[in-house]
Amino acid sequence: MLRFALAGNPNSGKTTLFNCLTGSTAHVGNWPGVTVDKREGLYKKCKEPISIVDLPGIYSLSPYSPEEVISRNYILDEKPDCVINIVDVTNLERNLYLTTQVMEIDVPVVIALNMSDVLKKNGDKIDEKELEKRLGVPVVVISALKNEGLDELMERAYEASKKKRIGKTVLEESELAHVIGDVKIALEGQGVENPLFHAIKLIENDEIERTMHAETVKMVEAFKKTFKNDLFGVDFEALIADARYKYICKHYSSTLTKKIKGITDTRSDKIDRVLTNKWAGIPLFLVILFTIFHLTFSEDFLWSSYWGLPSLEALGVMVEGAEGELEPVNFGIALFSCLYDGVIYSPGVVLFNLMDLLTSTVFGWLTEGIASLGASEWAISLIGDGVLGGLAGVLSFVPQIIMLLLLLSILEDTGYMARVAFILDRIFRKFGVSGRAFIPMIMGFGCSIPAMVNTRTLLDERERTLTIRTIPFFSCGAKLPILVAVAGAVGNMLGLGDGAWISYAMYVVGMALAVISIIVMRSTTQRGEVAPFIMELPAYRLPSGKALMIHLWDKTKHYIEKVFTIILASTIIVWFASSYGWDWRPAEIQESILASLGQFLQPLFTPLGFGSQLNEFGWVFVVAAITGLIAKEEVIATFGTLSALFTTVVAPELAVEGATDVMLMTIGTGITWQALVAFIIFNMTTIPCFAAVAAARGEINKGKFKWTILFWVVASYIATSFVYTVLSWWWTAFIWAAVIALVTLGIVIWNKKFAK
Amino acid sequence: MKPIDVIIILVVVGVIVGTVVLSVIRKKKGKTACGCDCASCSSCPHCNAKDSKES
Repeated sequence: MLRFALAGNPNSGKTTLFNCLTGSTAHVGNWPGVTVDKREGLYKKCKEPISIVDLPGIYSLSPYSPEEVISRNYILDEKPDCVINIVDVTNLERNLYLTTQVMEIDVPVVIALNMSDVLKKNGDKIDEKELEKRLGVPVVVISALKNEGLDELMERAYEASKKKRIGKTVLEESELAHVIGDVKIALEGQGVENPLFHAIKLIENDEIERTMHAETVKMVEAFKKTFKNDLFGVDFEALIADARYKYICKHYSSTLTKKIKGITDTRSDKIDRVLTNKWAGIPLFLVILFTIFHLTFSEDFLWSSYWGLPSLEALGVMVEGAEGELEPVNFGIALFSCLYDGVIYSPGVVLFNLMDLLTSTVFGWLTEGIASLGASEWAISLIGDGVLGGLAGVLSFVPQIIMLLLLLSILEDTGYMARVAFILDRIFRKFGVSGRAFIPMIMGFGCSIPAMVNTRTLLDERERTLTIRTIPFFSCGAKLPILVAVAGAVGNMLGLGDGAWISYAMYVVGMALAVISIIVMRSTTQRGEVAPFIMELPAYRLPSGKALMIHLWDKTKHYIEKVFTIILASTIIVWFASSYGWDWRPAEIQESILASLGQFLQPLFTPLGFGSQLNEFGWVFVVAAITGLIAKEEVIATFGTLSALFTTVVAPELAVEGATDVMLMTIGTGITWQALVAFIIFNMTTIPCFAAVAAARGEINKGKFKWTILFWVVASYIATSFVYTVLSWWWTAFIWAAVIALVTLGIVIWNKKFAK
Repeated sequence: MKPIDVIIILVVVGVIVGTVVLSVIRKKKGKTACGCDCASCSSCPHCNAKDSKES
């Protein structure tokens, strides 16, 4: 099968083109570095099926970054039948710098001038025929976003792949041509493939080339000694780069006609003047972050509780149900109650309420249906309390998670994410990481796994390690149910009503812990200089509705799949373990297998507030926290499964009052609000889910991985214990301060003595 | 034991066994390491066994 590789600068639209050609739904984002590894798909519209390989974005074929190594190795070693070089036509000169290098390899090359839609919009014109003549390879104008010119591109690439092509260089006109020619002849004599490319890279002092052709290095150095440039001296890398750009400006730039001559401010420049302003940039970022969380969590979206609006009960549209609880008079009011009940709910909460209404209605029918078929009591309990109770607890949060992912995706697609890295670089640099590290961290709000893999774009190994370790502190979507449900219970206990502010505070605590951890690691195990931060800021653009929907659909599909496989199976096991004893006979919850396991581990959690100080039912929090290690959604699913069994034993009257699962646990165990806050912190900061641990194992070397696990356990234990003790007994803050001062002093002394 | 109880037991056991089998199959195929699928993930090849071997 033919193989075509897509190569180009970061953010030039390779993945968008890949998705169009292969029908894939690979994640695209408006910032450089979304794709960190190659991926394959199939194009079927040509005369024969073609495998399309999407390579990470690169600026050159020099091994400065892992992405450049991946792309270079693929083109040189895997020998694709054709390289489609995607060129962002709105940044022609800079993009052609890579083109001049790709053309030096003995491989068919086709140039795809992408973003022609933006070019037209700007009123600029490109003479692609003339450019093709000058480059000597096929050039096709396309718009991957608008799906224009793709068939022609593939046809020409197919034709090109059938002909052999020998590499050519634009350096033939430069003063280096003679040296390049000599080295090339020497390499040809040794039977080296792609001699022109290797010759130029050897002259550039490319590290990989010097290792690969160690025996030729001496000869190359001898050739180079015969040459000296007045401006660059013997810096051959700079000399070659200069020669390339000179050639591009002289021969290719004139093919692009700009409507407005000279340098003018674009729309992005004008927006950036505000959003990346030295003083306003960070406050605006915090406002945007707050807006995202407020749209997702707030039960009082427009602060309408201050308007004195009447509740549904006061409006007389609620009646007493058969079991004494208040319920809407009809289905219409039930739907309306999802939107309003004395306060106006945020879109995220409205969606949650609607999903909750749907799941409770449908699951209620299912349980009744099973009962009407004459099922035994244990079977009704298994399906109603165990399976459906657990699933309902998790499924209700699906819309809110989607809402959060949607808003984060909009941040990515508009191009704002790259700006966030830029504006935070100044602050993060002081703590020991570059602003680039913040991109994977903020991706962690969605899911830790892609966030951890994205750290590959960080060049410094230690910066990568500490970024991976702190990513779980940026609470992912799966932790959202814990945050909302437990924060809601805390708000209820404190009489705050809306737990949204507690949720925001938890996110801030997570970020604060990340910063503290970075400082500690940079002062101890991960010492080193902060890597320089260079990032191209992409132009702002409106997010593509289609791309957003595809992304969200994929996430939703996978989340639901997870709910109906791993979480469903786990709820069944939790139900069984909480309904049966070690003798395999039905038992009261307190004599169950789960209770004995929970009670065994309970003392370990005493310093965190949800251990032995709780009553005999306190083990439920321990069990929930442990099941959360499989998948974080399990915590709430476990509460959902246990709540019905729990209520019948502990407080039957609470079921009638319609208390939430977490409220039932709270009242039943005697847990304090301080311990509940500690419970949230523990779940947010401890070892992430199995999948994220596996991702971390893949990204960190084996030696560091075991320390990473230990780091998560210790960091979460200390942070949770700190929060619990200080919230419970304010004066313990002084003890903590003294301990922190002693540890800091110890680190300083240690660094002075041994760090060298 | 009533027929509906037997059906419930079979379904429940099926779910647990099915989940385990599905996870094993996926792991063998190298399709996923995270319980979800890879289509929307920029890190897809990282989890793909075939690609990992290539790189």
